[in-house]
Amino acid sequence: MYLFEYQAKALMREWGIPVLEGAVATSEQRALDAARELGEGPWAVKAQTHAGGRAKGRVAGKEDLSGIEFNDTVLEVGRTAASMLGARLVTPQTMRKGETINAVYIEPEIKSSVQLFVAILIDGECGHPVCLASVSGGSQVERDVFDDPKSLVRVNLGARDKIDAAPGLEIASQLGLRATVKDGFAQLIQQLHALFMACDLSLIEINPLAIRDNDSLVALDARLAVDDNALFRQPRLAALASRMEVSKAEGLAAKHGFNFIQLDGDIGTFSSGAGLAMATLDVISHLGGRPANFLDVPPVLEVSRVKEAFLLVLSDPKLRCLLVNVFGAGIMRCDTIADGLLLAHLEEPVTVPLVMRLAGTNAPLAVSRLERSGLSIQFVSDLASGAAAAVDRGAAPAPLTTPESITGRLTRWLFGSRAGPGS
Amino acid sequence: MSILIDNSTRVVCQGITGRQGTFHSERALASGTQIVGGVRQGKGGAMHLGVPVFDTVAEAMGETRANASVIFVPPANAAEAIIEAVDAEIGLVVCVTERIPVLDMVRVRSYMAGSKTVLVGPNSPGVAVPGLGTLGIMPQGIFLPGKIGIVSRSSTLTYEAVDQTTRNGLGQSSCVGIGADPVGGISVSRCLELFMEDQQTKGIVLIGEVGGTAEENAAAFLSTLDNSKPVVAYIAGQTAPEGRRMGHAGTIIHYGMGTARTKIDALRDAGVSVVFSPVDIGSTMAKCLGHEVSALRDTGVEL
Repeated sequence: MYLFEYQAKALMREWGIPVLEGAVATSEQRALDAARELGEGPWAVKAQTHAGGRAKGRVAGKEDLSGIEFNDTVLEVGRTAASMLGARLVTPQTMRKGETINAVYIEPEIKSSVQLFVAILIDGECGHPVCLASVSGGSQVERDVFDDPKSLVRVNLGARDKIDAAPGLEIASQLGLRATVKDGFAQLIQQLHALFMACDLSLIEINPLAIRDNDSLVALDARLAVDDNALFRQPRLAALASRMEVSKAEGLAAKHGFNFIQLDGDIGTFSSGAGLAMATLDVISHLGGRPANFLDVPPVLEVSRVKEAFLLVLSDPKLRCLLVNVFGAGIMRCDTIADGLLLAHLEEPVTVPLVMRLAGTNAPLAVSRLERSGLSIQFVSDLASGAAAAVDRGAAPAPLTTPESITGRLTRWLFGSRAGPGS
Repeated sequence: MSILIDNSTRVVCQGITGRQGTFHSERALASGTQIVGGVRQGKGGAMHLGVPVFDTVAEAMGETRANASVIFVPPANAAEAIIEAVDAEIGLVVCVTERIPVLDMVRVRSYMAGSKTVLVGPNSPGVAVPGLGTLGIMPQGIFLPGKIGIVSRSSTLTYEAVDQTTRNGLGQSSCVGIGADPVGGISVSRCLELFMEDQQTKGIVLIGEVGGTAEENAAAFLSTLDNSKPVVAYIAGQTAPEGRRMGHAGTIIHYGMGTARTKIDALRDAGVSVVFSPVDIGSTMAKCLGHEVSALRDTGVEL
């Protein structure tokens, strides 16, 4: 789970990590007040989105506005806030439609000659948190590091809950920081590490970390992510999740425990297991089709949750076909999938052709139940033929869009041709 | 033979009285796996599924001579369960539990440094040897005793590979799902090493995923071998949508490793037949075993 910059900075402030005084605003008036409270300016007005790359991003519909603006007057701050709030910010790290800006964060603008990149995250290979750092902080850091891999400093922080000053001093000297800054830097690394371990974070990224002329350090930006698996023991951070922006579909998916990502295509997918779900997208794309979504339903016993997953993926108006690819194993049984589909169909009749590949536990039982249901389903024995059938359907003319009564749709499904609702 | 488990493997199930533990232990027993006991703090002395339940792993080992453990304990307590098994010096631990906090696994892995216990998982579908038994949640009825070793980072795709090698008659020697979590136990490379040493294994299927560097490391390991058995690999997520990205650290930590492209290139360079589509795993392996090993480089489906 990602935190917004203002949430991250509030948390860091509690841990004694140097950040600027700032204020969050969700209206123009609040932005004006905040600017006045924060002194005489100039100010930085920063769109609060989870995606990074804000300075390189553009506010949709206002092409002269990026996600981070610097203003000299209070009135300008108000105008910038008004333009940003409610608009969408598109950055190199968002999808094409961007992310809605529901709040802006206002801070005094400060100048600094040295800006570092500092991050802590888990390295799966060594199984420890590592610190990455570079002297070329800022939005071009990825390019700089790829151009000159030696410029990236990487120090293993070990598995212990507390570290001493040594790793920070090591990083400081590898970065070539001036002597007067080293102790402060080492202390900052200790503080960040303590925060990382105590709050079950999966990422801390400070980019940039400014070194000011008086040798003090300040985190100008902050990106924090919390390990979702640990939210049960981080109730304060878990509470922040409820205030996050999620699409209705993603919110529904989170509630029922599925992994769901909306995509642009017209072939719906329903799989169990992230690997199989990814493989399903791979095969569809390989055959020239366009998936409408990624859906991984974890093994669940409850039919009601399987039903919700079907309702979710079938609610997409772009859908021309649904490919179900399930390998029943363990507690994920194919008959549960069949029952979930039939319940979903009772609640909201299915109007797109279905292609189903059911294998593994209780697959024959599931197929016989579905065959008796009257639903028009093309059963396939493997993923290759399933994807081919789905891609054929996806390319077919769009189904009729005339509104119909539920009875009409049901009747057509129960007694209509096997060719699907479009014919 | 087989890897990780053999006919002397005696299994104790941690969390046997829970819903998942009961369901899978029952199936494992029915398929002939030697489950000799269960562990559940506070329920020692009871019987469950016809096997005795103990309060601790050490007690269970003392009474039943168990030498392997399978864990179905809820995520909040799973790290503790692994450490208990490590402390009891059991030989093999298969942790099925998913959603364990990553920092718990950081601590577990550090605690296990120097230990003789082999950990598979967490978030693992388990280890299965056809005809011998299964530790974990892999489905019954799809296996065929045979000559292909399967190592996988993805549970459901493991079954896909098993299914295909059963359908084309090659069968499996052993099958290991190492789990998809960022910090876990046994590595892909170590499983490859075990398969290379295993007499029964004639070919190896490797199922990878985007993210991490396990496949690149596996490729580096394979490059060091003078005489490799044929390896067929599939990397899931070649067309996966990039989720919300946040910041730069996740991208730069691996210096341009970790993508499907870098994994496929590294594996190809190491002589692995990489298939683009998971549906080609079984047929490609059959082709590999019908040809000379030296001709393997060209058998992969071109991207």
